[in-house]
Amino acid sequence: MAKARIAFFDFASCEGCQIEMTNFGDAAFLELLNHVEIVEFREALSEKTTEPIDVALIEGSFTREADRARLEEIRRRARVVIAYGQCAATGGINALKNHQTDYKEAVYGQDAGMPHLDSDKALPISVVIKVDYNAFGCPINKYEVLQLLSHLVHGKEPVIPSYPVCVDCKRRETVCRYHEEDHCLGPVARAGCGAPCPASGVPCEACRGLVDDANLASIEKVLVERAGFSASRAAAKRMLWTANQGSESK
Amino acid sequence: MSDYFINEKDFGDFLKRLVRARNVLGPKAKRGHFVFGRIENPEDLRLDYDVTILPPKKAFFPTCQDLVRFDGDQVSGCIDPVDQVLFGVHFYDVKAIDMTDLLFAERGEDRNYTANRQAATIVASSIQSVSPRAFWGSVGKEVEPKGHDAFLTKVARGYVYQSRTPKGSALLELGKFRKAEATELEAARKADEAVKKKCPETLKYGAAEVAKKVRAAFPDEKLWERLSERCFSCGSCNLVCPTCYCFDVQDHWNVDQRSGARTRYWDACLTSEFSKVSLGAGNSENFRESRGERFRHRILRKASYLNEKLGGPACVGCGRCAAACTADIADPVKTIREVMEAAS
Repeated sequence: MAKARIAFFDFASCEGCQIEMTNFGDAAFLELLNHVEIVEFREALSEKTTEPIDVALIEGSFTREADRARLEEIRRRARVVIAYGQCAATGGINALKNHQTDYKEAVYGQDAGMPHLDSDKALPISVVIKVDYNAFGCPINKYEVLQLLSHLVHGKEPVIPSYPVCVDCKRRETVCRYHEEDHCLGPVARAGCGAPCPASGVPCEACRGLVDDANLASIEKVLVERAGFSASRAAAKRMLWTANQGSESK
Repeated sequence: MSDYFINEKDFGDFLKRLVRARNVLGPKAKRGHFVFGRIENPEDLRLDYDVTILPPKKAFFPTCQDLVRFDGDQVSGCIDPVDQVLFGVHFYDVKAIDMTDLLFAERGEDRNYTANRQAATIVASSIQSVSPRAFWGSVGKEVEPKGHDAFLTKVARGYVYQSRTPKGSALLELGKFRKAEATELEAARKADEAVKKKCPETLKYGAAEVAKKVRAAFPDEKLWERLSERCFSCGSCNLVCPTCYCFDVQDHWNVDQRSGARTRYWDACLTSEFSKVSLGAGNSENFRESRGERFRHRILRKASYLNEKLGGPACVGCGRCAAACTADIADPVKTIREVMEAAS
């Protein structure tokens, strides 16, 4: 079969998800190149293309009206669009600024007035173009992306989990954070990562965002009753990666 | 078969020989909790455990199990049973294994399960510590545990070892066992009876009465909605349940895009995507869309739907679901009490 032409594009992001792909190491990454042709990949390739592509992996959130045309142009020539990483899929960490006004001063101090810092709300790219699949995570799970690409190469429908991280924890028999008098966002966080953090004794921070039907009222109650959080901290706890996913964004 | 006794001081030697001779899975500590795991040093075996995070069925039905491996057009099955001794299984888990034995064997035997099961030896053991959510003393009393090969009970100065099958008797040669005396057998019987009264939780209703009433409560949507209001749809109650047996099957390709595997994973009917089915052409339908419907389904599966087939409820009272539920709404004792009270 002809090699699938894939390209990586980036918008408002740290490009860490592209770096994560290169973390596969030479052996796996070069093997993958036997099956796909990477035609644009800023973190590892200087070439650019204007040709049609089979799979566009778009990293980063939509934060400027000026980016709309570029996103639409990618969509026009891509057969499949994957929102690649949490910023592209939901707005990710960038969406924190949607609920704050002093972030420029806080981050850049006296340079806060630099014109390139002007941007609008951080939104998922799906507000501009149709997204076929989301590769969630901050950063993405490279093994999941490999499966996503494999399914597309073989003409199969990729499976993206929408169940909570608790499922992954149970499958590996991890001691629940709540059983060690800790807190955790696992019950509302989207799985698919394999739950490495709780397995290492670290609470889940929901870096893949929320499940589709997250019970936010219930997690707030649990954080108060079982983890001893104040009500306001319990409500704010999940915001780091999910600031576009609750009632605050509606 | 026959009943034996081994002295406390000889028991350690027996375990040493056992772990050398056989592949032993037993309860061991994990961050202040317990899991069934490979026992290489007898000191790691914690027969004083209260309950394990996952039930021992994982020895036959792993949480992730390859069913088929493929390489191009070459396809091979993955049934490759290993001889293993499950040592220290509490009676409630034996009952649960009896149930999964039946469920995986009926209507098209599932060899991926049964081959592992047949290769295993199960040594049940008496309960020395009671978990805070246990109610095995009061649920499904009409169901006797029967799939184990031997039963080990701690008594004064040693252990009574009641062998039930040739597999159970095969372990006798590894230790200084002698025939048990009547007084020792009586002590074992009393110990096993006494511990059943020590559960912190009690289901106060009989199985038939519960089955009838929870089924009659099916149309009470408000009740199920209320009971499941705090549910995360996380499936923890299913995933720790010793009688749950649903799985999902997924294909994975290796990076060479030629080889890979078809793997099954423990699934959970409390998750929202469990009941989502394809209608074709990109359309789908979820036949248990609300939390209440999913919550109700689990309770009915455990308390009613399977009773005729299993001879009792598909719940053994281990209390794992109650402990695993972060919102603490899964406890069958509390839930059934609420349903019974709402019905009366």
